[in-house]
Amino acid sequence: MKNKLMHLSNETMNVGFVKKVEALSGSSVRRCFQCGKCSAGCPMSTFMEHPPNRIVRLLQLGQGQRVLAGRSIWYCASCETCTTRCPNKVDLAAIMDALRKLSWDADGPSKESYVQLANRLFIENIRTYGRQYELRLGAIFNMKSGQFLKDLMLGPKLLSKGKLKMFHSKNRNIGDIEGIFKRIEEMRKKGEAL
Amino acid sequence: MSRIGVFVCHCGENISRTVDVEQVAKAAGEIPGVAYSCDYKYMCSDPGQTLLKKAVAEHKLDGVLVAACSPRMHEKTFRKAAESAGLNPYLCEMANIREHCSWVHEDREMATEKATGIVKLMVERVRKGKSLAPITVPVTKRALVIGGGIAGIQAALDIADAGHRVVLVERDPSIGGHMAQLSETFPTLDCSQCIMTPKMVDVANHPNITLYTYAEIEKVDGYIGNFQVTVKHKARSVDESKCTGCGVCMTKCPKKKIPNEFDQGHGMRPAIYVPFPQAVPNTPVIDRENCTMFQSGKCGVCAKVCGPGAVDYEQTDSFTVEDVGAIVVATGFKLYTIDRKPEDSPIQGYGEFGYGTIPDVIDGMTFERLASASGPTGGKILRPSDGKEPKQVVFIQCVGSRAREKGISYCSKVCCMYTAKHTMLYHHKVHDGQAYVFFMDARTPGKGYDEFWRRAVEEEEAVYIRGMVSRMYQKGDKIVVMGSDIQVGVQVEIEADLVVLATAVQAQDGADLLAQKLGISYDKYNFYSEAHAKLKPVECATAGIYLAGACQGPKDIPDTVSQASAAAAKVMTLFAKDQLERDPVVAKVNEKYCVGCFACKKVCAYGAIEEKEIRDRQGNLVKKVAYVNPGVCGGCGTCQATCPSKSIELDGYTDEQIMAMIEAL
Repeated sequence: MKNKLMHLSNETMNVGFVKKVEALSGSSVRRCFQCGKCSAGCPMSTFMEHPPNRIVRLLQLGQGQRVLAGRSIWYCASCETCTTRCPNKVDLAAIMDALRKLSWDADGPSKESYVQLANRLFIENIRTYGRQYELRLGAIFNMKSGQFLKDLMLGPKLLSKGKLKMFHSKNRNIGDIEGIFKRIEEMRKKGEAL
Repeated sequence: MSRIGVFVCHCGENISRTVDVEQVAKAAGEIPGVAYSCDYKYMCSDPGQTLLKKAVAEHKLDGVLVAACSPRMHEKTFRKAAESAGLNPYLCEMANIREHCSWVHEDREMATEKATGIVKLMVERVRKGKSLAPITVPVTKRALVIGGGIAGIQAALDIADAGHRVVLVERDPSIGGHMAQLSETFPTLDCSQCIMTPKMVDVANHPNITLYTYAEIEKVDGYIGNFQVTVKHKARSVDESKCTGCGVCMTKCPKKKIPNEFDQGHGMRPAIYVPFPQAVPNTPVIDRENCTMFQSGKCGVCAKVCGPGAVDYEQTDSFTVEDVGAIVVATGFKLYTIDRKPEDSPIQGYGEFGYGTIPDVIDGMTFERLASASGPTGGKILRPSDGKEPKQVVFIQCVGSRAREKGISYCSKVCCMYTAKHTMLYHHKVHDGQAYVFFMDARTPGKGYDEFWRRAVEEEEAVYIRGMVSRMYQKGDKIVVMGSDIQVGVQVEIEADLVVLATAVQAQDGADLLAQKLGISYDKYNFYSEAHAKLKPVECATAGIYLAGACQGPKDIPDTVSQASAAAAKVMTLFAKDQLERDPVVAKVNEKYCVGCFACKKVCAYGAIEEKEIRDRQGNLVKKVAYVNPGVCGGCGTCQATCPSKSIELDGYTDEQIMAMIEAL
């Protein structure tokens, strides 16, 4: 996908997707003139197959599929260095947020990426227990991702130091936390939150 | 014994970096006849000049040598300073130890030795120098402007408004040039015709302007203040004094299918025509190559229908000689055309772009005509092959420009901006269309220029792709454009309906020939050279000739108009005086020894040498000798070198001076 010939036409350029990104992020991608300052300062840039400036470039060309197919958006640490330093006021951190949200919603190629899986389990854990239950998170992540033995040997060490707990108690105010989730869901329905 | 002062300049670090200036000054002080020597950081600065003036007074100097940069740079400066100190300015000379020494050498010791040598020999020149007085010549307060585009029009109007008479000569049947062809102009998008045509009418109506269209420069004689220019008036076949511009001849002409040059060959015109409806003058011209009357001798319709009887098939080329004091050259540019290139052009075509073979690959000027309300499509963007409205248009920048391999290494300067403008015009006229631009760099320096380009991208939705196009080919009714986006690092393919090439700006055809007639210099691209890139940007090295517009190098309209007004201001400065002072470095004949062989006359490039008769008291002819007209003499010294009897000497460069300089080495 990365190096595949790019056909450009009104049909192949998904302007609707870019409009969505712009609406969600509140930032124009057309403002970017590709100076590369975002990529220059990005701490995660070396891990990305598309550095931040290229993400914007692909959006300018209506190539949302190419962006979502990669993992770059999941490597973004949301440190906002790019946004802070951009000479054209392109809020790249917000664009990355929007892209992650759209990737989440879409049956996109990265739907099953481990980052998404980890994020989903993390949130589910909090909703169920009111706080993080690390052992369960690790166990379910390993099962669902099919890597049963991943980091297994760290378990005893962490347990002995008390960093992991075998059993977990629920947060006393679990009802309030459920309230937070409900409110966000409602806001999402109204389009007020990502 | 002479009392010469030597002043050695550091030129900041330019000289002192390589040359030990203190040692040079010290060595100069030891030359016999040098009464004073010193070194200073910037001799040309105000304190430097004051130093020179003070030394002249204190040490009673009778000659001054400034060892610094080239005399082309500062000779005038120092001669003025010497003059204000009471010295004859021609007793002040410069020793060039910058361009001729410090800039071209690295070894400090050897460079210092060379600088000392240069100073030594120049001291001898000053010693043998003579006081000279400037020559005065009368100024003809009438200017010639060559070229009737926006540059020539602006210069002509400015000079004429100042109260001087102007002759404007245009090669084509109408003035207006390239600007009249444009649809709208960046960065404000005002209609070119709307701002251009009033100026054209002003030229035609101005009492101080004599307008010659369909005319060319045949010959240029004379010198600053006193040029004699022969103008060739090409046979128009229509008597301008009789023609009323009614246009009946054009409507009745049976031959109507001739591609119109003004519309880049995309519109049609008759054989008797005006290039465009707003032409100035509105007098038609007969295109003899395409006229049935001239080709087969049968037709004559235009002469029959012409009420005032202005059509004249018998007309021939005529010539007039114009006396002018200054010349403004404003001959403009042409666009690099790949298919119509002359065979001997060093520029190779772009076979990969299919220009000239694929009908829907056009150049920028053709797009201007398509977008223009006065153009062949009435302002609708329709492609040439089938007249359909293109939905995908690809623009390619830097075609010809910045391509050393193709023979042009320079940037054409206007293409980035006009391509941005084209995408906007296209977007305004075809709302559902998409414009793509392949570019290497967007070069938009200028007031409001970058904002204009960003507007094309951000608001008018042009897709700019950094990268070039490798190939284009016809596929059905589409043109497949294969390029790359180097920011993403992928190959890009677009099926376009129309491709517009931003082709390079080049010097006009025949620019070199005109330069040779005028005696001005030009670069390897045939663009005219200014006297100094920064400090004399509108003057030619040849005195009295000024440059305006794109004949000097690619330029946009604001720059062209600025330069035209600047050239006009230079002409007005020249015309502000009745007498013109000239450098007295001219040749003089020693009539006693001259044998009248006139070898000098044969070699003189300026035509300055005349034959003079010497008669005794009874009026009998004794002999003929050479006489140098000081107003015409260019001071080149060729006659001095040629004269077999050594009876011509160039003031300021006498044999005595040169021999003394050689001996000093």
